[in-house]
Amino acid sequence: MIEVKNLVKRFGDFTALNKISFKAYEGEILGFLGPNGAGKTTTMRILTGYMPPTAGQATVAGHDVFSQSLSVRRQIGYLPETVPLYPDMTVRGYVEFIAELRGVPDRRTRAREVLEMVGMSERARSLIRTISKGMRQRVGLAQALVHDPPVLILDEPTIGLDPHQVADLRDFIRSLGKQRTVMFSTHILSEAEQVCDRVVIINNGEIVATGAPLELRQKLEANSRIFVRIQGRAGSKAIVKMLTAIKGVRHVAEYQDGFLVTTSTNQEIRPRLAAVLMENGLELLELRPMAVTLEEIFLEYTQGDKLA
Amino acid sequence: MRNSWTIFKRELRQYFVSPIAYMVAFAVLVLLGLSFNTDLDYRVSNLLPPEGTLVLSTFAFLMVFFAPLLTMRLFAEEAREGTLELMMSMPIRDVDLVLGKFFGAWAFYTVILALTSVYQIALLWVTNWDADPGVLRARLDTGEVIAAYIGIWLYGGATISIGLFFSAVTENQIIAGFLSMAVLLMLWVGDIAGLVPASILSTDVVESLRVISLQSHYSSSFLRGLIVMEDVYFYIALIVVVLFMTTRLVESRRWR
Repeated sequence: MIEVKNLVKRFGDFTALNKISFKAYEGEILGFLGPNGAGKTTTMRILTGYMPPTAGQATVAGHDVFSQSLSVRRQIGYLPETVPLYPDMTVRGYVEFIAELRGVPDRRTRAREVLEMVGMSERARSLIRTISKGMRQRVGLAQALVHDPPVLILDEPTIGLDPHQVADLRDFIRSLGKQRTVMFSTHILSEAEQVCDRVVIINNGEIVATGAPLELRQKLEANSRIFVRIQGRAGSKAIVKMLTAIKGVRHVAEYQDGFLVTTSTNQEIRPRLAAVLMENGLELLELRPMAVTLEEIFLEYTQGDKLA
Repeated sequence: MRNSWTIFKRELRQYFVSPIAYMVAFAVLVLLGLSFNTDLDYRVSNLLPPEGTLVLSTFAFLMVFFAPLLTMRLFAEEAREGTLELMMSMPIRDVDLVLGKFFGAWAFYTVILALTSVYQIALLWVTNWDADPGVLRARLDTGEVIAAYIGIWLYGGATISIGLFFSAVTENQIIAGFLSMAVLLMLWVGDIAGLVPASILSTDVVESLRVISLQSHYSSSFLRGLIVMEDVYFYIALIVVVLFMTTRLVESRRWR
């Protein structure tokens, strides 16, 4: 449904997107993951026809975002990061206004339907300025859904919501993904892991990883890691040497008050490791595998982004 | 066209829920009422014929300050609130957006202009009772008044297009309002350039300043009851050009 090929966007000398390529298939929920300023919003703005790319190509449902911008915009429901609302309109008035611009035939009925979907029927007559942040988000979502678009683009939809609302919204996005392509950006990793079929990780305007959350995890788990803590011997060079000598260990590093042992895949070295430590008369306090989370995958891939 | 209509309806409705629009309407009526009353008093006591166009020339001058107040929010507010991003990702052309907003503001201007007809009704009232002593002796020249209304209506369209343009220049409403006020004032006083002696400013310069001045295109024609096509075209052309520039300016946001 969405196909992006070698997309480049420059703002003056600044390159916001540097030849990114990815795809989102029909009926898929694609998570667009990256730190702030990575280029998520820029990519979405290009896809929604708000701004043209500097170079490269992007198509939505087979239409080019630049040369067939209006056709693309018809296929998309878009919720920008700052929810675009008119404070002086009523909830229903606003949704009907958007429906009219979208050319929805029976806009009254449809507005009622989408407000029902997002659970805002009871506040349909309220002025937008009077409703809460969570409700605004839902009205914004109603706006994006009013013309029943095959592609939905949501820019950080869960930002600023309380945990309860976030959970509701995630469920809602999951239910939407059953009939349409949903692309949503976030910098919250667990969110992408819970909701998405696939994630694209972007950093500094470049795609650094693509795949199902599980796939990405497995890729990293090729190096499984074990945390070892030994009584009174934190940070000892001699122990690092001793551990490195064990067969199957690829790397040993000091980590917090112990050591982080990286091993090759499928090598169960814990018994041997414990035995070696015993033989040397050391007291083993802790020995646990370190689970790889999306968080770590993310950090691993976006490392260059650390503050100096 | 259908999309412009949708935008138009929203913008016009927006004026009726916004306090600033009511304030402008209120201020216009109070200020015009004062000048109307003074003038009427003067005419009655000096046995002069009624003058229906006086309120309109005052109204036209007030628009230098009030048109920016009506138009400054049109694009600036949407840009700041982020709704412009939504509008620009809707399946509508940028020109639809500009036209809808322009006609919405012009329609509200028309409503305010229509409110000034109370003064004409008042004049008709006092001039129709010939037998009554102490009222004006002559009848109101309704033809002149109608021509003046057409002129001031077109002039208002021009001031609104200029205000709309500056609203698209910046996200700051105050700056947008100030810029359009400054430009409208310059276009207004361009007419006075004719008073500058030829030794200081060459007549060519003076004449070109006068030609682009907004005032000169109604003060010597519409306000005297004349509908001069040249002046009609001037206002229409000005509106078209400024709206074209506004559209390009809105489009240019995409390239920034």
